[in-house]
Amino acid sequence: MRIGDVMDRDLTALSEHVGLATAIEVLSRHRLTGVPVLDDDGKVVGFISEKDIVKAALPGYFEYIQDPSFIPDFGQFQSRLRKIRNEPVSRFMHREVVVFTEDDSDFFVAMTLIRHNLKRAPVVRDGVLIGVVNRTDLLERIMVVSDEEEL
Amino acid sequence: MIVTVTLNPAIDEEYVVPEFAPGGWFRATKTDRSPGGKGVNVSLVLKQLGYDSAAMGFLAGFNGEYVRDSLKRLGLTTNFVHIRGETRTNVYIVDEVGHVETGIAEGGPYVKEEALARFMVNYRRLLKRADCILFGGSLPPGVPQDVYRELIELARQEDVVTFIDAAGAPLMAGLEGIPAVAKIDHRFMSRLSGVRLDSLDNLIEAVSGLHRQGIEWAVTNYRNHGDVFFTPQGIYLGEFERRGVVSLFGSDDALMAGLIVAQTEKMDVENTIRFALACAWENALHVEKGCRSREAVEALLDRIRVERLE
Repeated sequence: MRIGDVMDRDLTALSEHVGLATAIEVLSRHRLTGVPVLDDDGKVVGFISEKDIVKAALPGYFEYIQDPSFIPDFGQFQSRLRKIRNEPVSRFMHREVVVFTEDDSDFFVAMTLIRHNLKRAPVVRDGVLIGVVNRTDLLERIMVVSDEEEL
Repeated sequence: MIVTVTLNPAIDEEYVVPEFAPGGWFRATKTDRSPGGKGVNVSLVLKQLGYDSAAMGFLAGFNGEYVRDSLKRLGLTTNFVHIRGETRTNVYIVDEVGHVETGIAEGGPYVKEEALARFMVNYRRLLKRADCILFGGSLPPGVPQDVYRELIELARQEDVVTFIDAAGAPLMAGLEGIPAVAKIDHRFMSRLSGVRLDSLDNLIEAVSGLHRQGIEWAVTNYRNHGDVFFTPQGIYLGEFERRGVVSLFGSDDALMAGLIVAQTEKMDVENTIRFALACAWENALHVEKGCRSREAVEALLDRIRVERLE
């Protein structure tokens, strides 16, 4: 099946220049784990996830120790988050984005998502965002198809 | 791409209650719950007629999630800004025996300046991909009353064909932006022109002013089952039969969707009117809003009366 037939045609996205605080607000209000970042023409130029934001706000040494038990409280995290709240999302987003086109098969998309350990990825037409594919939507779809086949 | 703007969407709850009267306790014989608001309704009918569209505006809370999820499941493109609060619920009570419809509308959630700014970014982005755009319905608290004027002006700068169906001050401001097609409530038109529109002559006089302003098509309802269409090729009265009508709720939105489809398919004036009214009539033949299919609409085309007025 074409991914264009099963994708979520939602165009929720951020502009490169908006602040991190807006990104957090959008992720929280829309209950998303990540959103595409677009230029003024709607072309995908990046992707920012909650993981990227957490990483940006964690103390620098966390990268070396990789163990949260060394962090005593929210103090440092909070003050760093406050400091970078107005920084543009373009500073923290991934610029190399895994994108799909409508004609990609659901199997190819599923395998790519697994390989890159992604939950969501943009679907584009000529580089312009036209939807997103979610891992859970894909799982639901595969389950429905297999149920139908069983019947 | 067709874009619909619904700044104040809703969940529409329809209850069929025989012999409904205020002050009593009733049991509904039938209920229907669906995502709504004028622009959203137009998007739903467009889908039923085989056209994709992108719906945008503001959504909030649990009701907002319901609206978004319903549109997602139908495969519609969405680009809403989610805000704090709760998307409103509109309740309609249809009395099949007395043929009376009662409606109660909520105000909607408060839209902050930042949320409006985010909407404007989305809007400008979608304008670049839009061929035509429809603005429908009331404004939620916090949105400036003249927002439709700005939105229409921006669309015209990008050569996007604009349709508006609203009322009151937001419509007044929208008309100043000179949309291509405007649907104007009969009662509101009366207030707008300052004359009682009890005759067709008065109505024609009032709407002619809009034509002079540059609005190509103006549509206003006349009697219960008809509309007067002020077109570049003349003034037309179109009517459908009363027979079979269950609920007129959503018929205006189906009419707008019909106009968009007709203009997209470049139908001539008379066929445009016929098709739009057939959509409105098909919508009225059942409690659930919307049209059952394009075939169901087309089956009614021959029974629509269209008359050119001199």
